[in-house]
Amino acid sequence: MEKNILQFLLNDKLIEIDFLKEDFLPSTTVLNYLRMQPGFMGTKEGCAEGDCGACTVVLAEVQNGELTYKTIDSCLLFLASIHGKQLITVEHLAEINDQKIKLHPVQQAMVEHHGSQCGYCTPGFVMSMFGMYKNAAETDNEELTDAMAGNLCRCTGYKPIAEAAQACCKNPKPDKFSLQQVEIVKRLTQIRKHQSTLEISAPKQIYLLPSRLDEALGFREKYPVAVTINGATDTAIRQNKTHEFLPNILDLSAVEDIKHQKEGSAFFSLGAGTTLEQFKQFVKANFPGLMPMLKVFASLQIRNVATIGGNLSTASPIGDLIPLFFALKAEVKLSSRTDNRMIPVEEYITGYRKTSLRHDEILEAVQIPKPEKGLVFFTEKVSTRRDLDISTVSSTLRLRLNTDNFVEEIAIIYGGMAAQVKRAVAAEKYLLGKQWCFEEAERASKLICEDFTPISDARSNAEYRVAAAKNLLLKLYLKSVDNNEGLSL
Amino acid sequence: MNRAANNITHESAVSHVTGKAVYVADMHVGEQMLTGKVVFSPYAHARIVSVDFTEALKVNGVVDILDFNRIPGINQLNPLVHDEPCLAVDKVNCIGQAILLIAAENEHAAIEAEKKIKISYDPLEPVLTIMQARENGTALAKTRKIETGNPEEGLLKADHILEGELKIGGQEHWYLETQSALSVPGENMEMMVYASSQNPSETQHVVSEVLGLQANQVVCEVKRMGGGFGGKETQANHVAAWSALLANASGRPVKIVLFRDDDQKFTGKRHPFEASYKLGFSKEGMIVSYILDLHADAGMATDLSMAILERALFHADSSYFIPNMRVTGTMWKTNLPSNTAFRGFGGPQGMVVIEHALDRVARFLGKDAAEIRYRNFYGLNDRNITHFGQLVENNRLFRLWDELIISSEYYKRRAEIRSFNQKHSFKKRGIALTPVKFGISFTTAFLNQAGALVNIYKDGTVLVNHGGTEMGQGLHTKIKQIAALEFGLPLEKINLSPTNTSKVPNTSPTAASSGTDLNGMAVKNAIDKVKIRLDSLAKHLLTDANTASGEVVYNDGLVFLSSNPDKTITFKELVINAHLSQISLSATGFYGTPGLHYDKEKGRGNPFHYFAFGMAVSDVEVDTLTGMSKILRADILHDAGQSINEDIDLGQVAGAFIQGVGWCTTETLRYNASGQLLNHSPDTYKIPGIGDVPNDFRVELLKNAPNSQTIRQSKAVGEPPFMLAFSVWLAIKDAVSAVANHSVEPDFALPANNETVLLSIEKLRISLKV
Ligand SMILES: Cc1cc2nc3c(=O)[nH]c(=O)nc-3n(C[C@H](O)[C@H](O)[C@H](O)COP(=O)(O)OP(=O)(O)OC[C@H]3O[C@@H](n4cnc5c(N)ncnc54)[C@H](O)[C@@H]3O)c2cc1C
Ligand code: FES
Ligand code: FES
Repeated sequence: MEKNILQFLLNDKLIEIDFLKEDFLPSTTVLNYLRMQPGFMGTKEGCAEGDCGACTVVLAEVQNGELTYKTIDSCLLFLASIHGKQLITVEHLAEINDQKIKLHPVQQAMVEHHGSQCGYCTPGFVMSMFGMYKNAAETDNEELTDAMAGNLCRCTGYKPIAEAAQACCKNPKPDKFSLQQVEIVKRLTQIRKHQSTLEISAPKQIYLLPSRLDEALGFREKYPVAVTINGATDTAIRQNKTHEFLPNILDLSAVEDIKHQKEGSAFFSLGAGTTLEQFKQFVKANFPGLMPMLKVFASLQIRNVATIGGNLSTASPIGDLIPLFFALKAEVKLSSRTDNRMIPVEEYITGYRKTSLRHDEILEAVQIPKPEKGLVFFTEKVSTRRDLDISTVSSTLRLRLNTDNFVEEIAIIYGGMAAQVKRAVAAEKYLLGKQWCFEEAERASKLICEDFTPISDARSNAEYRVAAAKNLLLKLYLKSVDNNEGLSL
Repeated sequence: MNRAANNITHESAVSHVTGKAVYVADMHVGEQMLTGKVVFSPYAHARIVSVDFTEALKVNGVVDILDFNRIPGINQLNPLVHDEPCLAVDKVNCIGQAILLIAAENEHAAIEAEKKIKISYDPLEPVLTIMQARENGTALAKTRKIETGNPEEGLLKADHILEGELKIGGQEHWYLETQSALSVPGENMEMMVYASSQNPSETQHVVSEVLGLQANQVVCEVKRMGGGFGGKETQANHVAAWSALLANASGRPVKIVLFRDDDQKFTGKRHPFEASYKLGFSKEGMIVSYILDLHADAGMATDLSMAILERALFHADSSYFIPNMRVTGTMWKTNLPSNTAFRGFGGPQGMVVIEHALDRVARFLGKDAAEIRYRNFYGLNDRNITHFGQLVENNRLFRLWDELIISSEYYKRRAEIRSFNQKHSFKKRGIALTPVKFGISFTTAFLNQAGALVNIYKDGTVLVNHGGTEMGQGLHTKIKQIAALEFGLPLEKINLSPTNTSKVPNTSPTAASSGTDLNGMAVKNAIDKVKIRLDSLAKHLLTDANTASGEVVYNDGLVFLSSNPDKTITFKELVINAHLSQISLSATGFYGTPGLHYDKEKGRGNPFHYFAFGMAVSDVEVDTLTGMSKILRADILHDAGQSINEDIDLGQVAGAFIQGVGWCTTETLRYNASGQLLNHSPDTYKIPGIGDVPNDFRVELLKNAPNSQTIRQSKAVGEPPFMLAFSVWLAIKDAVSAVANHSVEPDFALPANNETVLLSIEKLRISLKV
């Protein structure tokens, strides 16, 4: 009975939802839920697909006894997934006493710097800035703009918004949320203690929110038709845009056992629930040559929830992590209630949006071999807009040279050039054993056409893809020899 | 100017940041409100064979479904040229033409109903490009022309002639708030429409027409828009009319909010243009003659296309004196959604061709393009008549140049770029300086009028109504400042009411950058009228035996005579006295811009009240391996006259520039062979993000630049800075051209997206190898 009831804090108010009694689904997006509530029209819809940030909210959750604050696009967030968390909306930032409004410092800065014109994007920006304010770690200007790459504004040209963020987020002072922190931690902990796992069987939808891996695998076996989700950033779009109805959902976002990032002697092991933002930090520390891909991956709002397991499992030709995992020769751990198996990522992806996952399995973790000495990795992504855009083409290189500068090992992987992520076999074959120099890279780049016949689509024409793909190999070469012209713009 | 009142923040800023600002999508009018949904044509051109919605009507929660038979009034969305049916009858002429309207208890029911509707079509061959339209001869109207001097003879006299073509892309408005309207039926067929419209009077008019009502039975109210940019000048009428039809049929309030993808797919955009030109010039780079032929894609209906074409013709000279010139323009009908107003209104498309051509001249002569531009600027005392015969008065191009060339460090940057390019093979940098001269006024002269209603209440506070709408541009803020200054009251005493057709009737759209110019004047006119009444009372109250009467002064909430500033009464006291003396505390105001005329046939006249000027220098870096580019620095100096609110004007300049950058770089409209827009969401249609803003972005207003004959000596600032983005477009071209050391003219088009840039570079590389 209790397992049907979703509990969370909406700002400072405890909300309990019994889906047996409501006519909306557990997978209703937080945005739509908020906009059904009186007094919560501040959160706006601009696109319903995670691309504009007008719907940005902040989720606070307890981690190691403290609150962490994450900005998230509420249009892609399933309501039932926020169990045991605090949902903070724009309405809650200012304090109102005796008809007088005391704005939060981020709001005050936006007003003073003329950060709003039509105002439609403003609540989203305010929430992104509030997120930064609460995560004072982001301090330099580049990080500030990066944290707002997920918010679009068509009026201001962003200049005043950037100035507002610089003025208020660099040295945040304790705010009303700091004062309430202890109290909120207590209330959230209580919800979790009381009920950490949900098994909602609403009339129209079964929504499962396990908190442990064994429960998750049990559910997987019991509900083999359920759609497994984690960040839901890919899945929610199906619901929002093609109005696909998902009768059974297994949501892994609360499973603690798949959120680890561990370093062993020979391997790194990353839980499938590692978020893209966590993965970014991991790559920064361990594979800096692959950072260009993470720097421009979606937006902070998306990276805060999207997971590496989700990215791999989409098996999309433009899933940006897939080429990285190919290059790293990563393996996936696929687990069912009764057993588990390890297979290379290259075998996990079997076709256009197809994987070799069985109906009783989930992707539990990704295992990355620690690189042998001399192995280097580089990657480059091309997209119409640098930030928050899907790859038109991407290219990733795994390379080991011998002491005489001859190629001993090579893998060149392309995204966006075929129905699935694919290696440039002809170019690889050509380069193996050759001297690693510009001329050879250039010759190899001409072979790209042998391996790929890309298509024209909403992002680009095939002609461009071919030209860019060839050049990307040169660009990776330049990067590998530390030529600054290889740097991403 | 009262400095205290200048640079106040947007009057809705606090509402914006707290999430309290209300847009149509946020409005609730009780439990009874229905959701409206529109069934759009999926075919660009087809005969409708049959329509069957009987099953859809049975869906739980569906209240009604309307087809064209259920329109009580006229089946029309265009109030002037009747060529846009409100609901399709037997034929569809574009993807996105409305066929049916669904009213349902909730969105879910509406979506279910739509799935059950069966419409069968007999597809016809669509016309989807300007080229096809020209082959089929589907001109919307006859070709427009403006000519001066003798263009053919001019070409003969020129030392050199360059010929060329340029393709100029369209642009999606991408206002953050999609098209939306809420209609609430009243007694006796009356209809209240809450719209997100730049043109409430026309919305009222269109709604009354489709409902078969008199205008005095329909009220349209606009609180604010979440961005308009021209996209809600006519096309906001559509959703309003659809919601009103459903509200009328169901007797219940109906709200329609277009889903983002639907808005992108089915509403009009900036007109794509194709240009061919011949430019004759002297060996010094002086323009001798210019012949330009423009062709534009109107889409399926007239909408505002002819006025847009006209503005393109007016701006074909950009900022340059051209002694011999002929510009012709033709609008072509295609089977795409009707294209419409968008910031700049055809001006950008007209201007960009000559900017492009001058860039070629510079390369051809081996000279700096900025200097070629400078030489050709309109003169201060001569060489100052436009091709349509208007005198370019108060030309600020030279002032802007003198200041900007120094503040932007143009020559230093150019030299640095040259040496950067010599040292780099794969990254190239480019720089460009471009000017803007933009004519202010509706070119349809009668539209240059505005009305206002000013009410003073007994507590000494003021409510201002005017015909302009607020879409983020800060119009209401400026009006508030104007009213506060005129009454000598603090800002808190002034409130602005939503724009409402029952308060101020027969208004023009808030467009053509004219919002403050026109409405500010109308508000002032209303205030002047009340003040005349108050003045005589004040004189009576303030004059005693000792004082000679003087001017009545309103300042700081006090009223006094200039001859005796020590004897004061408060504004509130004066107002109470006036009320007790049976003096009206309310007045309407009106303004019509004087002296505007234009003869379309002759191509001669004074269509503009004045010109606004601006100038920009931008430099970019291009990755010649991928075609991606980044703006490194941009310096803008813009002429906003004596700014009423500098921060708001700076916001307009930066915003317009970045919007222009989007049009010039990443914003590409891609269609498939059946006319479907492929990139119909922000996933694939890319407007600039915060990362696209120049690392170093310097925006300034020209100081000490009052404009005569306008409200508070200010200048319109909404559209002109949009075209400053040409500096970015041409800087990219400069960088591309560096690949071949500026020896070969690169292929180029607008937008200069990665694809245009890389393919152009690849061609240069091949030509170098040959
Ligand atoms: C605005 C926006 C921008 C984006 N930008 C990028 C980008 O730059 N690059 C890019 O590559 N992608 C991008 N994406 C795509 C995508 O959302 C991400 O790739 C994301 O990583 C998916 O992770 P998720 O956890 O949210 O996935 P979900 O939506 O939760 O799941 C995606 C798929 O994986 C399956 N799945 C998830 N977890 C597991 C598991 N543990 N075991 C088995 N199956 C599982 C689900 O069944 C589903 O089929 C973007 C998406 C959006 C909305
Ligand atoms: S509505 Fe655009 S990101 Fe959510
Ligand atoms: S202020 Fe209008 S979209 Fe940002």
